[in-house]
Amino acid sequence: MGKPKAKVDKKICLACGGCISVCPQDALLMCGGRAYVHEENCISCAICIRTCPVGAISGEAY
Amino acid sequence: MKYDVVVVGSGPAGSVTARFAAESGAKVLIIERRQEVGVPVLCGEGVSRKIDEWNMLEGKRWIAGSMDGARIYSPDGTMVKLSADMAGNETGYVVYRDIFDQELARQAVKAGAKIMMNTTSTDLLKDNDKIKGVRAKQFDEEFEIEADIVVGADGVESKVGQWGGIETRLEPKDLETCAQYTLTNVECKDAYCDFYLGKEIAPGGYAWVFPKGKDVANVGIGVLASLSESGMAKKLLDKFIANNPRLKNGEPIRFLAGAAPVASPVETVRDNLLLVGDAARHVDPITGGGLTCCLEGGKIAGETIGMAIEIQQFDQETLSVYEKNWKEAFGKKLKRNYLVKEILLDFDDKTFNMLADSLKDYKFEELSTLSLIKALVLKHPTLLMKLRPLVKISSETKE
Ligand SMILES: Cc1cc2nc3c(=O)[nH]c(=O)nc-3n(C[C@H](O)[C@H](O)[C@H](O)COP(=O)(O)OP(=O)(O)OC[C@H]3O[C@@H](n4cnc5c(N)ncnc54)[C@H](O)[C@@H]3O)c2cc1C
Ligand code: SF4
Ligand code: SF4
Repeated sequence: MGKPKAKVDKKICLACGGCISVCPQDALLMCGGRAYVHEENCISCAICIRTCPVGAISGEAY
Repeated sequence: MKYDVVVVGSGPAGSVTARFAAESGAKVLIIERRQEVGVPVLCGEGVSRKIDEWNMLEGKRWIAGSMDGARIYSPDGTMVKLSADMAGNETGYVVYRDIFDQELARQAVKAGAKIMMNTTSTDLLKDNDKIKGVRAKQFDEEFEIEADIVVGADGVESKVGQWGGIETRLEPKDLETCAQYTLTNVECKDAYCDFYLGKEIAPGGYAWVFPKGKDVANVGIGVLASLSESGMAKKLLDKFIANNPRLKNGEPIRFLAGAAPVASPVETVRDNLLLVGDAARHVDPITGGGLTCCLEGGKIAGETIGMAIEIQQFDQETLSVYEKNWKEAFGKKLKRNYLVKEILLDFDDKTFNMLADSLKDYKFEELSTLSLIKALVLKHPTLLMKLRPLVKISSETKE
């Protein structure tokens, strides 16, 4: 099992775009009005998790 | 589909750029991901009355209230007041951003621009590295839009710049992560915008109360992303409201999350490409306010595009008239305020209390970050050492 990758809870996300603007891997994008993580690109740095103002992103182990 | 200009994003920066490009004869298309311009609102909705000079918005429906001034509260509650009588009535408005954005879009259409809603740009259209337009998606349909010039007006999360080879990714220390309620049942006894500072209140940022009516206010918070933890902005905002007697009985009629760049501006021009507004990081790094730059910069961008279309040259050199002119209009201010932001971040709560105490009876010549900085430098020559790089800049800067 690798390091946990970021995962967005669609019910909580309010589409502010903050996580997208700070992701060093360009792994996040807005999709259907919510942020979405491209798991292949995510390096589990957790920057997006700390940035989210409403706590919509968590780390999930794969 | 072939246009002279395709603008990605119908926020204020995109609409104003589109308007002035269309007014100078360009065939302009705006594409917007959302299904309604300006909705949802992601903004504190405060703006300087400086926008009156530019006369870009008709009517008054976009105005929620005119402001008489601002108050800044240090961590121990010491208040520094910047009021209209000191500032020559030059203060500002609290606006309805949805109506504000829609009015600017209406003006763009009136000038001849077209708008395509529910349409997301997914990439640039290129021919051997040369930008030829954008790839777009509307519901399940994917298509190409050709244009000589692409404008990235796609806000804080901008991708257009990155697609065109401009590094726009933000360091966490250059982003304010925000949350805001619009509260009713709060007491707004005067037309002042209030700002609250302190490490306990908002690390690397501030909390704000902007009145929108006699019992309605935008109450929000910005936290520097590098000092933030998951969900911190919302938690601190809830705490701020619970601890504030004036706000604690408020009931929310709106809640939003937001992100405001507080970075140095990026390069804004490439062959066939221009960035405006938040996408260009045209935001005051001290306040996080970006609306005045959207309007001022958008006009410059639109006029530059008009000139480029007229001579049919779309290379970086031709378009760099835009970069030169926005730097002249507000580039120095952004640079200076970025330096000030970095210095302020080093100050602890005690220093803020001391500074506020020394300015509490100060008569400010105008309501601006510049007059605050000037007052600080004047009152605290000992701090001058740290502030020296910006004093040089501020002496050259007109606001
Ligand atoms: C919480 C908060 C409070 C703020 N308060 C204030 C304030 O009080 N005063 C002030 O002056 N400024 C304030 N700001 C800053 C201000 O909101 C921004 O500077 C301003 O909205 C920037 O306008 P813009 O046109 O550049 O981008 P935006 O208004 O963000 O518009 C970008 C548009 O592009 C669209 N878009 C994005 N990507 C695509 C794509 N790929 N395809 C198609 N469309 C796309 C989006 O849907 C959006 O409509 C605040 C910001 C925040 C977050
Ligand atoms: S954890 Fe890091 S790499 Fe992964 S999506 Fe978040 S910011 Fe991007
Ligand atoms: S930072 Fe949080 S609320 Fe904002 S877009 Fe990302 S997941 Fe959504």
